[in-house]
Parts: sequence; C-alpha cells; structure tokens
Amino acid sequence: MKSTSYSEKTLDHFRNPRNVGTLEGPDVAVGKVGNPVCGDLMYMYIRVSDDRIAEIRFQTFGCGSAVATSSMTTELVKGLTLDEAMKVTRTDVADALEGLPPIKMHCSNLAADALHDAIRSWREGRRGEAPAPPKAGEFRTSCGPPIAEPAVIEGAEELLAKGVYHGVEDPAAFVDKRVLIVDRGKPSVDAALALTKHTGRVIFMSANKEPSSKDDPRASLKRSDVKAIYEAEPVAVLGEGEVEKVRVHDIRENEEYELFVDAVVILAEADN
Amino acid sequence: MPSRIYLDYQSSKPVDPRVVDAMRPWFTERFGNPSSLHLEGDEATEALDGSRESVARFIGADRDEIIFTSGATESNNLAIIGYVTRNRRRGDHIVIAESEHISIHNIAKALEKQGFKVSKVGVDQYGRVSVEKLRRKIIDTTILVSIGWASSEIGTIQPMQEIAAVLRGRGIVLHSDAVAAEGLVPIDVRRVPVDLLTLSSNDIYGPKGLGALYIRKGVNIAPVMPGGGQERGLRSGTEDMPGIVGMAAAAGIMAAEMPAETLRLAQYRDRLIEGVLDRIPRSYLNGHPKARLPNNAHFRFDAIEGESLLLSLKDRGIAASTGSACSSKTLEPSHTLISYGLLHEEAHGSLEFTFGRWSGPADVDRVLEVLPGIVERLRSLSPLYEKEEKA
Repeated sequence: MKSTSYSEKTLDHFRNPRNVGTLEGPDVAVGKVGNPVCGDLMYMYIRVSDDRIAEIRFQTFGCGSAVATSSMTTELVKGLTLDEAMKVTRTDVADALEGLPPIKMHCSNLAADALHDAIRSWREGRRGEAPAPPKAGEFRTSCGPPIAEPAVIEGAEELLAKGVYHGVEDPAAFVDKRVLIVDRGKPSVDAALALTKHTGRVIFMSANKEPSSKDDPRASLKRSDVKAIYEAEPVAVLGEGEVEKVRVHDIRENEEYELFVDAVVILAEADN
Repeated sequence: MPSRIYLDYQSSKPVDPRVVDAMRPWFTERFGNPSSLHLEGDEATEALDGSRESVARFIGADRDEIIFTSGATESNNLAIIGYVTRNRRRGDHIVIAESEHISIHNIAKALEKQGFKVSKVGVDQYGRVSVEKLRRKIIDTTILVSIGWASSEIGTIQPMQEIAAVLRGRGIVLHSDAVAAEGLVPIDVRRVPVDLLTLSSNDIYGPKGLGALYIRKGVNIAPVMPGGGQERGLRSGTEDMPGIVGMAAAAGIMAAEMPAETLRLAQYRDRLIEGVLDRIPRSYLNGHPKARLPNNAHFRFDAIEGESLLLSLKDRGIAASTGSACSSKTLEPSHTLISYGLLHEEAHGSLEFTFGRWSGPADVDRVLEVLPGIVERLRSLSPLYEKEEKA
C-alpha cells in the first residue's frame, strides 16, 4: 500500500479539518507531541468544564494523516469526560478514519497522544498557559522526540561511584552487573555495546521512540545483546549506600515502575 | 474540473508517439534475433547497428562505445561494479558525491562489503560538488569517481568539465549517471572526457526498461551478468529490439529538437520560480539559481509538509513531487536535500515541479493560481507558522 493510499474519510478530514485553531483562558490546557524535524508537530487545546472536554482545537504541521488524525480526534472526544478521553487510543482514531496506511500508523497517528498530553497538563494544574514555543534544541537532525533534557535524576548524585557512573572507562566495575545506560546519543550506544563484553545484562533506556531508520545509531542495538527500552526515562536512582533500583517513567503510558539494577551509566550530555 | 496537469517529468515520461511508431514493427513483423544468420536475423543486426549509431551520436561517442542495458540502474551497476572488479589490482578506492541518487549510494555500500573503500565528497549549498574537496578525497588507490551529471531532484548541474580536469592524467576513471541531464543539457563525451556514462531511454521519451552505457575506448570493464556473450560479452541476453529501436528513435528526435525545446522549458521554469517566490511568503528555491536543469523548479516552504502539498495539488489536478519523509518508503527525508545542508523540517516542506515535452504556458498559470492558496491553507493549520510569525 502506498503511504498516501488514504481512505475517503481520511481525505475528507484532510480537506475539511474540523476544529482548527487555538483556545485561550484559565480553563484551557494544551498538549503537544511531535517534532518538526520528523515532519509532525501537533498542539491540542482543550477547554474543560465539569471534568468534560467542552471545547477542543488543534494545530498541526505534518502530512495528510497527521492533519486527518488531529481532526478526527477532536470529533471523537468532544463532550467526553477526561477519563473517557484518556481511553481514546491511536487505534480508535485510525479506526474512525476507516484505517490508515500501515506505514502511517507509527509516524503520524500522534493526535491521541497530544490529547492525552493536554489532559495531563490539565490534571497537573498547567492551565491557561500558552504552549511553549519549540526550543532551539528540538530542531535536531535525527528523529524521535527530543531526548529528555539531561533531567536531574533524583538520587544520581548521592550514589555517584556507588553504582552511578559517568563513564565506562573501568570495565571491572560492570562485570556481571545489571547495568542501565541512559540514552545520551551515539556515545551511549557505543558504551552499551562495549559493556556487553563484560556483562550479560545491559539495558539501554531512551526517551526517544524506537528508531525507524537504520541510520539511527540506536538501530544497531537491535541486533546486539543490549536490551533497549524506548519511550522511557529514569526519574530516580534508589538504594542505600549503593544502587539498588531505578524508578522509570513510561512516557507512552504515563506510568512509573521500578527496575532493579546494579549500575546506572549516565554519560555527559553529548551532541546527538 | 480542468484536465490533469502533469509536472513530474523527472519521475516518469510518456513515450513519444513517434517513438511508438518506430517500435511497432519490431514486435510483430520484424522479430528476428540479431545473432541468427538468416534474413530475419540480418534485418535485426542492421537495426541494432543503426540504433547504436543513433544513441552514440546523441552524446558524441563512437558506435562501438555503446552497450544497451535494461536501464539506468543496470548501467550504473555495470559501470561501477564492472570497472572496479576488473581493475582491483590498480586500487580499491572509489569516490562518490554525497548528493548522489540512492542507487549509487547502494552500489557503493555493496562494494564496501566486498572490501572496497568509499569516500563521499560533499556538496555546497547549491548542491554543487566542490572541485577542491574532490581533490582532497583522491588518494593513491583511487580508481573511480562517480558523479551524477545533474540532480534529478534539485536540478543542480555539476561542473563536469572541472571535475574531469581534476582527474585527468591520474589514471582515475570518471563515471557519470546522466539520466537527469540527458535531453536537457548538451552532453558531448569528446568535450567533457567522462569515461563511463549512464543513459536511460525513458528520460528522453523512449520506452522504460531500456538504457545504455557509454564505455570510452580503452576502458576495460567486467560483465556483472555472465551469459551468451551479447553486447561484446558485457551484457548478455537476447537484445530487446523494440526497446533498442525505440531508444534510438527517441535519441534522434531529442538531438534534433533539444536546442529549441530547452529554451521553451526554461521560460516556464523561470516564470514559475519568479511567480512562486514573488507570491508566496517564506518560499525558497532549492538548488543552484543558474546552473540548473531548464525544466526544474524545486521549492521549499516554511512550516508546511510536502505530502500535504502534494495531496492538495492532486485535488486541483496537478501532479508534482516532494522530498519529504512522509511520502517516502523509508520515512526518511531525501538524502540529496539533507546532503546539501537542509534541516529535516526544511526537507519536509519541499516541492518539485519538472516540465516536459507536453507542458504548456497554461500549466504555469494554473500552478501560480492555486499554489499560494494551498500554502496559505496548510499554514493556517500549522502550529509552526503562527509561532514563527509571532516571533
């Protein structure tokens, strides 16, 4: 199927998108997803009243399916409670459009994610705020959402040299350890691959989406012994006197879970 | 609704009806095999020789310097792989341009797996190969340089004369894929000393599935497909006589009509470029402003995406092309666009129009009539445009 073999319904929503625009006011929250580098960027604005989506608007930079999925999402969730709207998935949106070309399922069906992001913003009290303009750092040359700011990982400083490392120069420290290595671009990929010589358990964690291109250095992990986890980020390193586990934020599901490891490698931020 | 306007001649061209007429007898009445010794065979041999002569004349070559192939992809493979495998004892290093068509990059990748070394020479902001950079890429073991005569995408024409001059006297063979340039810029292998040149039949309004490779006398290559020994043993397989006769007819027509035709197309190109840049804010021309193919207008527009542009143009009956990732099989933007310094989001907003033999002035009018509105509508949906405007 060609990437542009769209259903009539999809084409209709592309040609006549519903609910285009922005909303303002103290009862408005904004969700954002995508990255212009990858050819998709969406903003979803919701006005909430009595825990329901009273009004919804979107703006989208992207291909035909990006526009159509945004438009369809606004139609699907208008009037729903926030709980109901959180349950609307990418698949629901694609189904409502009578299907999308398979290649578009991954890349441009982000509208439901933007909606969920808006609801999260609302629930976390970020209301009446204009969306942050794209930051310079977001205009990178590779795809996927921007790497999480070298966010402060709680506990990482306290456990430095007690299981937290900023480099892998000393392989002895990792022998037979369960090592979590945080995505910091190609150097971290290389480090992860190198570590597999010393231990059987290397987890590579990336806030990015799974690479869709073979040119992405992360793609080389697929054929390696490294276990790669995408759309996830460590928020805290936990342990008494030494690293015992990390708390992980699953970005897609917006859930947190714990993962038991012996070592965490956080390289200095590098150019991607 | 007005009839379709086809402005994607770089992707595919119709076969000229005069070419179809020339081909027709070779399907039915004249079906002989040039290798046969009977009358039907002799007839085919004569047509094969005449066709070779016609294609050779088109680029200033001799008849025995032309090999017929199944198209540009095969010609590129035969030229590059055939040459480097035959001449490996002389060196194992080849140089290609970063901006080359993906088919050349993939040949280079295949050769790397066989142990050859590949260097890629960068291009400037207009997509032109820097002769200085090329000189620095050349080492003692370099045996072949492959640079496309022009980019089918951004339309930039390479300084082939200067490139050939860099290589002269160093025993390095120069290959050029000329499919984007043939029929649009004069190519004369006596004036620009390339050693291997790839031609395609459809790019001069001949049938698809046919191409040719020019091999300068004295340049030795090995076949990549062993067989019955046709085409001097370099390209085995019974000759596709209808295709060969068709390509030859196409070359003859093109040679006669090219000077006037390229002037005509350049007028459309210039009027379109001027009109678009004038009427659409934040629109840019990709590729070289002067050294560009006479039929090529390649733009990019801030804050909108190419596939959306194509769909909108399609609704208005206009066929064009884009280098955006969203329209590609790999979801990666065109590497030609990236290779000359565009950011990904810029490559996503690219739009290419290519004129051809059946284009007319009304096509330009129609594009200029509808494109500004399409760009405006898509920008009205785009979060990027508003933000940039506010900033």
